[in-house]
Amino acid sequence: MNSLDATQPFYAIQLECLLAGWGIVILLVDAFSPVPNKRTLGYMAAGFVVVALLYSFILRPLDGTFFHGMYRFDAFALYFKRLFLLALAGVLVMAAEFSPRIESGHAGGAAGVAEFYALLMFCATGMLLIASVNDFILLFVSLELVTITFYVLASYLRRQVSSLEAGTKYLILGALSSGFTVYGIAYIFGTTGTTNFTTLNAQLATLNAPPSTAFTFGMLLVLTGLGFKIASVPFQIWVPDVYQGAPTPVTAFLAVGSKAAGFALLLRVLFAGLLPVQGSWSALLLVLASATLLYGNLGAIPQRNIKRLLGYSSIGHAGYMLMGVAAVNALGAGAVLFYLGQYAFTTLCAFLAIVAVTNATGSDEIPSFSGLGKRSPILGLALFLAMMSLAGVPPLSGFFGKFQLFAAVIERAQTDWHYYVLAGIGAAAVVISLYFYLGVAKAMYIQEAEDPANAGPIPVTKPMRAALYVCMVAIIGLGIFQRPLVESAAKAAKIFQLN
Amino acid sequence: MDNLLTIAVLLPLAAAFLAFAFPSDKPKAIRALAIFATGVSLLLTLYIFSQFDRTKSGYQFVRGIEWLPSYGCSLKFGVDGISMTLLLLVGFVSFAGTLISSEIHEREKEYYILFLALTTGISGTFATLDLFFFYFFYELAVIPMYLLIGVWGSLPPGKHGRTKEYATMKLTLYLTAGAVLALIGLLTMYYAGGRTMDIPTLTKNLRLDANTQQWVFPCLMFGFGFLASMWPFHTWSPLGYAAAPTAASMMHAGVLKKLGAYGIIRLALPLLPEGARHWANLIAILACFNILYAGWSALTQKDWKFVIGYSSVSHMGYVLLGIATLNVIGVTGAVLLMFAHGLMAALTFSLIGFFYHQTHNRYVLELSGLARKIPYIGTCMVMAVMASCGLPGFANFVSEVMVFIGAWHQGSTVFRVATICAVWGIVVTATYLLWAVRTSFFGPFDEKWSMLKDATTFWRKFPYALLLAVLLTVGFWPRLLTDIIRKSVQTSITANYADGADTAKQTKVRP
Repeated sequence: MNSLDATQPFYAIQLECLLAGWGIVILLVDAFSPVPNKRTLGYMAAGFVVVALLYSFILRPLDGTFFHGMYRFDAFALYFKRLFLLALAGVLVMAAEFSPRIESGHAGGAAGVAEFYALLMFCATGMLLIASVNDFILLFVSLELVTITFYVLASYLRRQVSSLEAGTKYLILGALSSGFTVYGIAYIFGTTGTTNFTTLNAQLATLNAPPSTAFTFGMLLVLTGLGFKIASVPFQIWVPDVYQGAPTPVTAFLAVGSKAAGFALLLRVLFAGLLPVQGSWSALLLVLASATLLYGNLGAIPQRNIKRLLGYSSIGHAGYMLMGVAAVNALGAGAVLFYLGQYAFTTLCAFLAIVAVTNATGSDEIPSFSGLGKRSPILGLALFLAMMSLAGVPPLSGFFGKFQLFAAVIERAQTDWHYYVLAGIGAAAVVISLYFYLGVAKAMYIQEAEDPANAGPIPVTKPMRAALYVCMVAIIGLGIFQRPLVESAAKAAKIFQLN
Repeated sequence: MDNLLTIAVLLPLAAAFLAFAFPSDKPKAIRALAIFATGVSLLLTLYIFSQFDRTKSGYQFVRGIEWLPSYGCSLKFGVDGISMTLLLLVGFVSFAGTLISSEIHEREKEYYILFLALTTGISGTFATLDLFFFYFFYELAVIPMYLLIGVWGSLPPGKHGRTKEYATMKLTLYLTAGAVLALIGLLTMYYAGGRTMDIPTLTKNLRLDANTQQWVFPCLMFGFGFLASMWPFHTWSPLGYAAAPTAASMMHAGVLKKLGAYGIIRLALPLLPEGARHWANLIAILACFNILYAGWSALTQKDWKFVIGYSSVSHMGYVLLGIATLNVIGVTGAVLLMFAHGLMAALTFSLIGFFYHQTHNRYVLELSGLARKIPYIGTCMVMAVMASCGLPGFANFVSEVMVFIGAWHQGSTVFRVATICAVWGIVVTATYLLWAVRTSFFGPFDEKWSMLKDATTFWRKFPYALLLAVLLTVGFWPRLLTDIIRKSVQTSITANYADGADTAKQTKVRP
């Protein structure tokens, strides 16, 4: 194995090192010479991440595996690493805007803010590792790094009961699902004698009969753990409460980062590890995707709280992306990657606007967004574009994301008509989702502000404005000029042997 | 030179993006930009029409750039006789709509941005030769309407008991449901046609067996039918028009609705001939329901906009009947009727908007003798109503007669009965329209309305005169359009049908 070349492992893992190192620097700087303005610290952190993101475009993917076959630095890994860095940068800007509320909500006061930034960065380090996973052991370790950080982050506003409740709920269900995962890994190891995806794939490919019951059982348990991360039915119960209760930047990171991490793992495990036995899981995914689509989109209809609404909507989007996974073809894998990429911009845009509005109004109920189009045209436009992109309206990026997913499912349907049912359910979900996304648009543009006395303009800071512009340009740009992202997503998906 | 078509289509969208940069306290500049964009777009379309080679039947002015090679997709525009006719319609209606929008005095910036995006959505769908962009523009046309109605619309209370928010949401959901249904069918065709989005290539390559065609066709027929307000999926339509601001109702009733019928003519008929034959009878039956049921509903309406809204659902029935005939004269009539009805509906809605803006009342029975105070508008309204009733001299007459001849010529009992129903439908149309115009515009003058002001300046009169002039021109000289429509219909559509050859000979009955 030439992968033992002394320089290459560090080349492959440098982004993780950079990020963890910078997180520690932020902690130390704040401990020894406290920065008076915590916002500035947050913008600095975000600025560094943007630099790291730009730097990652210099890096080239490498063949082979590292660290004894556990770690890969292929196009797929790099695609996801960039995605996570992007998400982190957006979330850090959001956290900086949110910092006054952390100071008042966290028992540690101002000191808590720097820790908050650092925790976000450690969490993102775990996600970067997830992008490269090629072994069940590393899968579990990096997954835990992400999940445990999220337990802390979700309950960060210790003086708020809702935040504590969110943290506790996430902890209990998260721990349970981690338990399932590790139990499943044990079964897979017990039946095959390996935890490495490459070896596992080779072993399963020589299998002529369907896999043993014990192996299938282990596989299902691992899928349970991953289902929890991506918020697919029936492991989605935690989502609305946690999304609503957690501090908004954490919610955004759950929606963008954690979900993408879950899909990165799901794609790796299913397409790199378990592809030879696809007969035993593809039908299950078909059912899960349908159920997730319907649950998320129907559940969102009666919601009055925008974070809770986005929680249900994130379940719905897990359903759309599961359509692409269930299709088990190259088009589907590429479509999922594209979807995650554009979903990151869209969701960040929505949460950035929500943070700015809730900072001014103190409420994240949908009626408090009434008249936003007049109070702050830029926030109104940003939230409107985000909602329409989530709903899949051209010329926005979400439209093309959905188009690709449908194309992948219909391609599969040419050989298996069951997939037409999935496409039909997806189509119904699109229509349903339009209803509640337009509900937000209605509040912002059609309805007048609830309390006219208290409907002055909403201030938007410069970094926030910059982040919003980047997101909006990306939403429109990726909707019209889809080609660059489509091609890099397709390239990243090429590492799987799909047709 | 070949790029002119692309410019004509994309100019309004470019102007919409440009308008973002304008300060919102300069509404005049934004309005001027919108008038410029739609005006130039109309002029370019007219120029293209004048250069259109009337002896050829295929696509002309074809120009495209590769967009997404992995999907076989390119941004490609081109026109044949059918799309040329409809592009002209978009040009006239969008220009007239922009001129009439001077009544909007609130959040003009957003209004014109949405209106321009809507215009490109519609003309893009008519002009594109790429399946992906067809769907892209189709959906692009659906959404701006939500805000146009929701923000600038108004829905007077009535027996319907609905608000404008309800009306606009219903409209959006219906149209999106239709669109996604059509998408499933379109993607199936994409894979069966060898993974190309290019519509002309697809037309050549697509080989779907009859069974598949029989279930893909309804996906398209109902999917596009939602937008064409096919019975029983029409209920969004009168309500939506009633709630929409004037220019939005003009665009929607005038051109957006035609996208649905265009989708069926452009994609479903040529690509799925077996499916079309299988479902033609059902379309004809539903079309009769459109004509008679919607006409019947219009009889009972008291609100001007509901009267015209139901009347436009009823007229779409003739279009659908023409499509169902699958023969040259019927389909040609359907396309010409789309053109004629588009102008007529836009004209009527703009006239209603004119007096509603001053009276804030559009109940037929509460208005009386308006023609005395606003003679110009009254005259235009009478002419619009005459056109709608199918009086000779207007384009509507020619096209309706062609539809009837086509349907009768089709020969089967179903179509014979449908033709009788459709002709009867004209009587129904005349009943409610003449009643409405007589009650509101003639009869004793009510002093309540003495504050009404007529259109006096040239620019106020111009949009109505423009639409009427086109209606009359085509009415007196239908061959201006029928010649090019018929050529395209013959080659691209009816050539696929076994009986296409002998019906082609029958075109002598052309009026």
